[in-house]
Amino acid sequence: MSILILNGLVNGLIVGAIYAMLGLSLSLLYGVLRVVNFAHGELVIAGSFAAYVLFSVAGLPPLASAPIAAVCFFLFGWLAYYLLIPRLSRSDDPETMSFLLMYGLSITLAAAMLLAFGADSRSIDYEFNPVSLAIGPVYIATARLYALGVTIVITLMMGWFLFRTLPGKALRAAQMNREATQIVGVNIVRLSALAFAIASGIAGLTGVLIALVFPAFNPFSGAEYSIIGFIVIVLGGLGNPVGALIAGIFYGVAEQMASVFLPQALAQIVGFAILVGTILLRPTGLFGWRAMR
Amino acid sequence: MSGTIEVKELVKRFGGLTALDGVGFSAEPGQVLGIIGVNGAGKTTLMNCICGIYRPDSGSIRVAGVDVTGRSPHEIAHQGVGRTFQIPRVFGRMSLVDNLLVPVLDRKLPDRQLLEQAEAVLEQMRLIDLRHNHADELSGGQQKLLEMARMLMPDPKVVMLDEPFAGVHPQLCRFMIEQIESMRDGGKTVLLISHDLTSIYRLSNTVIAMNQGKVIASGGVADIRSNQQVIEAYLGD
Repeated sequence: MSILILNGLVNGLIVGAIYAMLGLSLSLLYGVLRVVNFAHGELVIAGSFAAYVLFSVAGLPPLASAPIAAVCFFLFGWLAYYLLIPRLSRSDDPETMSFLLMYGLSITLAAAMLLAFGADSRSIDYEFNPVSLAIGPVYIATARLYALGVTIVITLMMGWFLFRTLPGKALRAAQMNREATQIVGVNIVRLSALAFAIASGIAGLTGVLIALVFPAFNPFSGAEYSIIGFIVIVLGGLGNPVGALIAGIFYGVAEQMASVFLPQALAQIVGFAILVGTILLRPTGLFGWRAMR
Repeated sequence: MSGTIEVKELVKRFGGLTALDGVGFSAEPGQVLGIIGVNGAGKTTLMNCICGIYRPDSGSIRVAGVDVTGRSPHEIAHQGVGRTFQIPRVFGRMSLVDNLLVPVLDRKLPDRQLLEQAEAVLEQMRLIDLRHNHADELSGGQQKLLEMARMLMPDPKVVMLDEPFAGVHPQLCRFMIEQIESMRDGGKTVLLISHDLTSIYRLSNTVIAMNQGKVIASGGVADIRSNQQVIEAYLGD
């Protein structure tokens, strides 16, 4: 039983690190733009399909396709921002319009993937050598360890960017007070485009990691990852990227431990139970804004 | 012309309410223009229109000879307009130094130089010992000083101060008055909103009195103090 628990903890940590990436990108987007991106999960799955195509057509291993996906999705996010978001500000009710717009984008992306790849689940038939590593009594898939490594690198890079560079500081400032950020001379449109592009880049890269870690994906998987992303950012405190990272890991561990202790059907509702409980008991999220300090 | 601000026939409506109704004035570098009026007179709306938060329905705003009417806030800031708010809008979960670095994002200067500049401004505002603290750890008065420091960081030509003395300890008020005098003497154009008439009269070269979105009187301090319309609308008897 103790090995089962240990396995659950280790896998929870790895899966949680991927969920943390979902939360980090969604949180950045919500914090700066105040836009709830329903299409985030579809972007993530598009990243998985990008890795699938790069592997099937060019024989590129998933780890090599990760930076390519990140750059391509960054550029896609930049373009998509200028195409879609500034129009929202001309609406009388930009928040409701953003809900509808992002929901529409989510359906469009899912339909495009369905058209391109069909409804069947896909997986990348790539194996690391060795397939798994033994750390004490726990066996961990090598792919999962690599995925964990990538998430750690991305987290450190984002930490450096947000806390050490001027554009990063401006992004954090915009999360705290968007109007004051503009008043002091920051071009909020350009800054928002940067946030959208970074969030999209991380989403694409997360998709590659999902293709690496989880058994399969299909054009409809996006909604599931959007929901997980939303649970994570609510848990971590809306618009708080550090809180999202911690919440992602917390959620991943909770989910994996639930699958150890609870029947399959019950384990699946753990995430929603945590979400409802958090909203009822602590609407500002488990970490509020304290984690930013 | 460097920091001259000219506002002409400015109109701003919110639905059926006319918040600004043909407001006009001008101020020169080295001048303090005091803006007084009862609550709801349109003083803050005027500042919001000048700095680009609101787009005026008609009229014009020129800064240093450039028409900035209806431009976005960051463009107006780049034209040399800085402001503070009645309730300070500091970046609470960032250090004081980082608060001051945000306005100079686009400056093509080495980080070291920007940091030294930020520390010099914090020194001037007597906040240097707190430079690594988070802004939300400061008192209300200190936050007003920080917001003033953040406004001064990009060296604006026109500064707009919205109720800087509201809720501030008298000792800190005196320090703020010295800072405003220093801005004025340094050649900045200062627009000052305050209900503290003693400070307004001490600092201002010219005062405009507003009521129901209109300028009801403008002139030197002595003129305003004796203006019957101002006395009736604002000062009471």
